Amino acid sequence: MDYKRMTLLDLHKAITDKEVAPFDLVKYAIELAKQDKNNAFEYICEKEAFEKVKTLDENKKDNLLYGVPVVIKDNYSTKDIPTTASSKILEGYVPIFDAEVVSRLENEGAILIGKTTMDELAMGGSGTNGHLGAAYNPWDKSHKHMIGGSSSGSAAAVSAGIVPISIGSDTGDSVRKPASYAGLVGFKPTWGRISRYGLLPFACSLDHVAYFTRNVFDSAYLLNVLAGRDNKDMSSSFNKVEDYTSRLDDSLKGKRIAVIKEINASISDKVVLNAFNKTVEYLTSQGAIVDYVSIDSKILKSIYPTYIIISSAEATSNYANLDGVKFGNMIDGDSYADLVIKTRTEGISEYAKRRLVIGSFSLLKDNREELFVRAQKCRRVIVNSISKVLEQYDVIYNPASPSIAPFIKSTKNKIADEYLIADNYMAYANMGGFPSITFPIGFEKNMPFGANLSAKPFDEALLLNIANQIEKFTGLANIIAGDDDGI
Amino acid sequence: MEFNVVIGLEMHVEMNTKSKMFSSAPVSYVAPSNTCLSLLDMSFPGTLPSVNKQAIVNAIRLSHALHMEISDILTFERKNYFYSDLPKGYQITQAFNPIGKNGYLTLNSGKIIRVERLHIEEDTCRQFHIGNESYLDFNRAGIPLFEIVTLPDITSGSEAKEVLETIRSMVTFLGISEGKAELGNLRCDVNVSLSEKGSNKLGHKVEIKNLNSLANIQKAVDYEISRQSNLIKEGKSIKQETRRYDEAHKRTVKLREKVDAVDYKFFTDPNIPPIKLSKEFIKDAIDSSLELASEKKVRYKALGLNDYDSSLLVNSKDITDYFDEGLKTGCSVKLLANWINVDVQAILNKENISIKEFNISSIELGNLVLLVEQDKLSNKQAREILLEAHSSDKKIEKVLQERNFSLVNDEAKLLDIISELLDSNPQIVTDYKEGKDHVIGYLVGQVNKVTNGNANPKIVHKLIIQEIKRR
Repeated sequence: MDYKRMTLLDLHKAITDKEVAPFDLVKYAIELAKQDKNNAFEYICEKEAFEKVKTLDENKKDNLLYGVPVVIKDNYSTKDIPTTASSKILEGYVPIFDAEVVSRLENEGAILIGKTTMDELAMGGSGTNGHLGAAYNPWDKSHKHMIGGSSSGSAAAVSAGIVPISIGSDTGDSVRKPASYAGLVGFKPTWGRISRYGLLPFACSLDHVAYFTRNVFDSAYLLNVLAGRDNKDMSSSFNKVEDYTSRLDDSLKGKRIAVIKEINASISDKVVLNAFNKTVEYLTSQGAIVDYVSIDSKILKSIYPTYIIISSAEATSNYANLDGVKFGNMIDGDSYADLVIKTRTEGISEYAKRRLVIGSFSLLKDNREELFVRAQKCRRVIVNSISKVLEQYDVIYNPASPSIAPFIKSTKNKIADEYLIADNYMAYANMGGFPSITFPIGFEKNMPFGANLSAKPFDEALLLNIANQIEKFTGLANIIAGDDDGI
Repeated sequence: MEFNVVIGLEMHVEMNTKSKMFSSAPVSYVAPSNTCLSLLDMSFPGTLPSVNKQAIVNAIRLSHALHMEISDILTFERKNYFYSDLPKGYQITQAFNPIGKNGYLTLNSGKIIRVERLHIEEDTCRQFHIGNESYLDFNRAGIPLFEIVTLPDITSGSEAKEVLETIRSMVTFLGISEGKAELGNLRCDVNVSLSEKGSNKLGHKVEIKNLNSLANIQKAVDYEISRQSNLIKEGKSIKQETRRYDEAHKRTVKLREKVDAVDYKFFTDPNIPPIKLSKEFIKDAIDSSLELASEKKVRYKALGLNDYDSSLLVNSKDITDYFDEGLKTGCSVKLLANWINVDVQAILNKENISIKEFNISSIELGNLVLLVEQDKLSNKQAREILLEAHSSDKKIEKVLQERNFSLVNDEAKLLDIISELLDSNPQIVTDYKEGKDHVIGYLVGQVNKVTNGNANPKIVHKLIIQEIKRR
């Protein structure tokens, strides 16, 4: 039995056929987690997981997640399990409630075996900004290539075969980018489709519950489990939850696919472009209509600065509760102001501070119009231009990143088109709340890279259908990094 | 030197909703500290707000009472600042789309005070200090508040007080706040600025913060007016600053000079989608709202009460509720009002209790009044019964049974008493025949004395006239 490559259906069959007991699965996953060399874990829930698996409700054994080990990013509130969001300021915080996503997974019979590392407070895209240091890409044993972030540990854990699925969060591209670097499916459904209750807010208007799987079917199935209205989250949608696995095999014939020209034009890596073009040829061969459409590159280049202003502004407010008084790591002072200054100076890293300062600065009365309000207007323009394309097309399709995972130590030219467009465009889906999925399409130097599809809000079934068809063509499902040991 | 006085009020009124503005924690002003709180109130990471619908209904009702335009789109903004009593590091308020705009209220003098805005926000923790330690009570964190801001149409301490009294009357009659200043339900900041009459140059605004009693508002404002006018007379300038009222010394004291106002970095809370208020929702909220004092007064007058009696009743919502309930017995409106305004009020005042703590129900009182109306009891008897029932904490019915109170209606018996009295005072008959009517009153008193006040006064009166005339 090859646990590390198994899909949810495989695992379910193995459990149902009594080939393996949930307890053994969990035990094995925990062993793997303990051997993790990629700094993927904030906390391994060994004791908790064994307790849970022993008390699994047999009535749930028909669920695909029954007895399946899962991990979750450390910015989800987990009852009685430390939650730090990889920040020093939250060290010692043990929440007294579960995030809605955690409850839903547990309800299905999934077993949480660990909390994963991330860029501190979900700010950052490299996976290097956590209080435990950098997380690594399992595809690169030399630990030179990044895994990407901010959902770095969740990506590494699935990519290394420790668990079949993991939960991350996606505010700019924090699941979909590492998915590209790790050879995974990274999926962020429509804003409001999954309750954010219990997700530590970074930038609420952009934050999405998102997750990693090793194939499209598992992503679709996971959405069946996680989607739906939650009264604890006013922004969660009342829209009907579909069976998202039901349309995966629909034909591509007549499907309308737009490729934004300017994004591809900003990519210099021929391997990435060739692999992408091959998938386009396939789509066309299957009867899909693929058109290259244009969006003013000024608009595309504004995505990143717009994202930074809005997300940092919201973050500065969302993280204002981190004063150490009610929870987390307090450093006492002579007055409340003194205490807050000491606690936050000590507890938040330079990188995160920079973002918080940008956010605060952009909200100040004197800067508001020029920065925050302007960013909101830009957001509207960006979303409108994407929506306009989606009026004509079912999905928008582009490479998810301009290259394989960059080196941790590399520096990018941050005013080059490739960085401003190809490296950061995926945040448009956060701005408009569009469902968006990344999946692997090729390799370069033994490192994977992916492509991304986005669709109209609540059009997840169609999005998953097209992604599944491309996955069939590439055959890049259920790939893991490194050796597989079998069970 | 004469001055123009310009005063604006910013009031905060705590609502009496069952749960808090954005969390399901109960609202209580009396529960032990930190027993009414939720995860959200303590700002545990990942918790999210849910808007309290009742608070919106309440705000619609108060906005309507203040003749305001009611916004059909509500958004909630974050007011960002660090303070120990603010767990989230921001307060959720309505900065951009207040629910009520451009209204007014009318003072007894007929003067109109314009009300600029009314919005909904959440309260902060209560903070108190023991020794050099600070304590936080999260019971108050998240309680829904109205913030009501007037335009500077107020010109005296007494007007300021009356504005607050009017607001208190509105919120208590609408049943949307306890309206108790002593519990912190009503709090007020006042802006006072003076300018020389004839000059169009406005003086610097002085803010007096956290006034929490009606009396103090009047005193603080009056003090501030005289302080500022004295300064101007002395040729000194008035600084823009924030002051507080020092109750012990009956004066305002400087808290801080207003440098630049705090930058609250407002933005719309992304966790609360804009709320569209339909015309029907607004109409339902208004149609189903309780009567205001002014409306009750109109109704009472239509029932036959005079202005004085009805004004006395509408001083308190609880009294009018008691009165309205008592009317269900079918007793005389006027008599019941009188009993409540005089006899019941006397007991309440003497014992310093509220009508809600009064142990005689309004139905019992109404029935007692009915007995008086039907001549089954005299006023005096009824008063005695009321007092006894109250002091012994018994039902009026029980006291009636025990005391076996009944009026002497026996005409023969009463006639005997009257005859006897006339026999021994023959002068009375002469006096009466000479037109001295007051002797009747004297005689009634004498009969009451003999019968211990139990004689039916109507029969006594009738029999006396009859007997005197016969002689």
